Amino acid sequence: MKKGGCSLGKMLLKLFLKLFGICFAAIAVLFTIFFFDLDGKLLFYVVEPFLKKHYDDMERKDVLKDLYDVDKYPKREF
Amino acid sequence: MIDRKKVKKALRDFWYGKPHGERRLGEILEDKTGLYKHREWRGVKDTSYYFWNIWCYNYFQMVMDIMKNGGPIVFAKGLWRYRWVGQTYLPVLHWFDRGLQGLRGEAMKASAWHYRAMVATTIRQFQRMFVCDAKINGGKINEQHEHTIAINETVWGGIFYPWDGKLVSVPMEMIPYFVTCHVNSHTVLNYIDAVQSIGLPGDPCPMCQAESGLFVLDDMPDYAKAMVTCNEACDASVATSILQDWFFDKPLFALPMPMQFDDPLVKENCMKEIEQCWRFIEQQYGIPFNWEKLKEKIEQQNELQRFEWEKWDVAAHTNNYPINGVAQALYRIYQTQYGDWEIWHQVDKKVRKIMEKCVQKNINTFPQTRHRVIAWSCAPLYYSNWCTWAYNCWGLNVVINMDSLMFDMTIRTDTYDHALEDMATYHMWAPMRRMAVGGMNHIFELWENMEKFNCDMVAMYDQLQCKGMQGVHGLFEDEFRRRNINAFWLPHALPDCRTVSRAEIRNAINDYMTTVMHEEPLDPSLLDFDDSMTW
Amino acid sequence: MKDLKHLIFFENLLQEANNELVRKGKEEGLRAIGYTCYFMPEVLLDLPGCFSVRLRAPRCTSPDIATYYLSSRVCHYARSLMERALEGGFNFLDAQMATETCTATCRFQEHLQQKHLDTVQDMQIIENPDFFVSFSDVPFKNTELSYEHFRKQLRAHVLDELTAHFGIDTSDEAILKAVEQHNEVCRLINEIGDYRKLENPTITGYEFAVIQLCSLTCPKHLILPYLRETAEQLKTREPDDKKQFRCKVVLCGSENDDPDFVKLIESCGALVVCDRYCYGAVESRVPIEIKEGQDPLDAIARHYLLTSNCPRFMPQDEMRGRKKRLAELCKEYHADGLIVASNKFCEYWSYERVIDTVVMRRDYGIPVCSIEKEYINTASGQLRTRFQAFVESVELKQIKEDK
Repeated sequence: MKKGGCSLGKMLLKLFLKLFGICFAAIAVLFTIFFFDLDGKLLFYVVEPFLKKHYDDMERKDVLKDLYDVDKYPKREF
Repeated sequence: MIDRKKVKKALRDFWYGKPHGERRLGEILEDKTGLYKHREWRGVKDTSYYFWNIWCYNYFQMVMDIMKNGGPIVFAKGLWRYRWVGQTYLPVLHWFDRGLQGLRGEAMKASAWHYRAMVATTIRQFQRMFVCDAKINGGKINEQHEHTIAINETVWGGIFYPWDGKLVSVPMEMIPYFVTCHVNSHTVLNYIDAVQSIGLPGDPCPMCQAESGLFVLDDMPDYAKAMVTCNEACDASVATSILQDWFFDKPLFALPMPMQFDDPLVKENCMKEIEQCWRFIEQQYGIPFNWEKLKEKIEQQNELQRFEWEKWDVAAHTNNYPINGVAQALYRIYQTQYGDWEIWHQVDKKVRKIMEKCVQKNINTFPQTRHRVIAWSCAPLYYSNWCTWAYNCWGLNVVINMDSLMFDMTIRTDTYDHALEDMATYHMWAPMRRMAVGGMNHIFELWENMEKFNCDMVAMYDQLQCKGMQGVHGLFEDEFRRRNINAFWLPHALPDCRTVSRAEIRNAINDYMTTVMHEEPLDPSLLDFDDSMTW
Repeated sequence: MKDLKHLIFFENLLQEANNELVRKGKEEGLRAIGYTCYFMPEVLLDLPGCFSVRLRAPRCTSPDIATYYLSSRVCHYARSLMERALEGGFNFLDAQMATETCTATCRFQEHLQQKHLDTVQDMQIIENPDFFVSFSDVPFKNTELSYEHFRKQLRAHVLDELTAHFGIDTSDEAILKAVEQHNEVCRLINEIGDYRKLENPTITGYEFAVIQLCSLTCPKHLILPYLRETAEQLKTREPDDKKQFRCKVVLCGSENDDPDFVKLIESCGALVVCDRYCYGAVESRVPIEIKEGQDPLDAIARHYLLTSNCPRFMPQDEMRGRKKRLAELCKEYHADGLIVASNKFCEYWSYERVIDTVVMRRDYGIPVCSIEKEYINTASGQLRTRFQAFVESVELKQIKEDK
């Protein structure tokens, strides 16, 4: 019993340490991203140029061809 | 031999962050891009707070906001379709960084809450636009589209309170244009160029140019059944409405804000115009006006105003006010313009707690303040965080600004007539109208507010293309001289950072502080740096 | 064509605001009331006992002091008026009936106003102890509500002020009398202007612009005899045997009180047959109609909101309808093209010009020349090139159509 209990405790401890390790690693990674502004750098050097190119290349409607229908809307008091 | 003093100092700097005066914030910036070589070390406590409660928390909340309002697919579709969302809103945390740079303790916390509220409201609005948008929904007009009304960004959201829960008003330009300039000033340039490419000269107000350009580039979602526009803030806004009418092509109601708002006859007419607007909505949407709803929402809005007055009181009479210049200006204009929304209440609650702590413990929130500054006229959207820089570099603490002071009123709800009367006043005191182009007797309320907020210096915004403010330039110069007031002009072109760069704005202030005030900078590394490519 | 008998006299009247007839009016004991915008009904300023003067600042090329006050980024027209006021050129004015209908002129008029505030020192620009400024709020729409509001504004801020300051009679009878005189001016100007509709017009756009401007800037009762005589002379005026123009155009756009600008266009071969701009006659010379039993002030309020084609108007049908009306004017005056000219820094017309340039050409097939100009056009070479090119393009279009 004692042995079993000990191994469960060990397992829990291991799990806790593992979780702690994962969390610690995740936090460390996040903090590194945060501190060295890696999110900003990724967005500035990679994401924005990519999206910008996409928007620049996008086919757009020539709105000047839109009809300006003078009679479409009636005179209204309100 | 280890220098114990140096070690002690290094440890103290690590634990508390370098004190203001020893910091060199300019040195952590990358040349041109304004990105950080590394983010600012504010000491263990404040850096942890910034990392957890601002950086992680806001990234997480942004995802949650997307999930709550339409979901990720709608967002992805919108992002792929519209430049202003894709190019702008991803670097939103950098917007926080720029506005909150150098802040410590309670000032950092309270100001960050204001930013959080603005982000939440922004996401809510653009997600609503995308949910309703026929353009990204294969041309389909859905139910939400039929229950959404497009409004000009300077029309007060409160006009639509009677339909709360049944009809959603979404300003056309607030998110695609106004907020984008603050977050990523690159985006708007596309729209300005677009409208000039069809022949518009470069001299009308660049805000209106950008608002028109959104339509010229076909970058406005088709999200509403009808629209309400207005003449605010200037002639160019009136003219912009014509282009918007052409390209948006929906039933339109014009709800002007008259300039002569002190005239009781004008107010009387304005009340009737508001009622006509309500009839227009009833006619277009078939949903009846609900007085009870209006009353309820106004009372909630009044709560926000009452807290704002408390904030002003603290700002005016103590050194404990925990909101910095940029957070104060943006949050206030956003909140008053947009109208009541639960996020404002949530945030105000948190800010109240912080502010009360500051007052009770007499925390000097901006301890290196050399001058208490009032900022007057309309601010540069691409450099709204100039005041953060000005505090860090020169100890100029922008305590209050004109935009914050515009809607200085609560609205009565005891009777319909009183409510309507006060709503008319509120409506007429629109952004940039109340003081800037609302007649000379109001633009010079500056002196009164300067005294009220115990300010000893004026930052006079000089929007080069604002005809209304350019038209009082000389009189201000005369009055500054006559009253012997320390004032510097801050030239800018609202959203267009090409006309006057951020560096030029800083130089104008540097020159004033050195040649007129004969002062030394608190952080010389911020005097001259190149951030020409920054968001 | 034979010269118009009074043309030189008219041209001289336009050399300064305080011209011979204005001085004569003042000598008669009449009050001179200034205004800048069409939305201020001139007819109310022409009530017995006073006369209207629509402000101009001819020959003002360097508004230096005004630029200090209004900055260099504000419309040259407003700055020129301010400069002229600062020079003392408007000291003859007894009042300024102001509107905030465009930002730049609004600011100019606010500078003239004695505000008696603690917050800003009055400039005392107009050296006339009786002088005052009164602002009226002009609606952005032409609905029943707007008519009512405008009527109340005119009563409170124009008529009541004139009575209070100068004892002017503002009764219905007095208003009717002013309307009668106003309508006679309109009838004569229209009669004179209608000769521009002829195939070979017997009046040039320049001559008409000069006459129209005189009618806006001089006491009506003093200019009327000259208008009558000119109308009479035109009845028998023979056109030149050979056409002196290559095409006819409608000139529309923002503020323009410079006949030399019209002359410049005409020197390039385009005869200006219609003037749809601020200070033009299209709106301002439509006679005021008062129906049986109608309150004259109500009729006036309606008239000015109904006749205006200003891009300041915001009702949806109005924003769109303006294009149609412009096309109708081109047809009515047999114009071959349209010149849309906006003053630099005029925000209303910067936009309206862009829209007109696209829509009028595309939807109505009318060739359009889009111009940005200054109040006083010193750089005429560039404009001349533009107009010449436009005239050629119109001719080419005609040749193609003939084929």
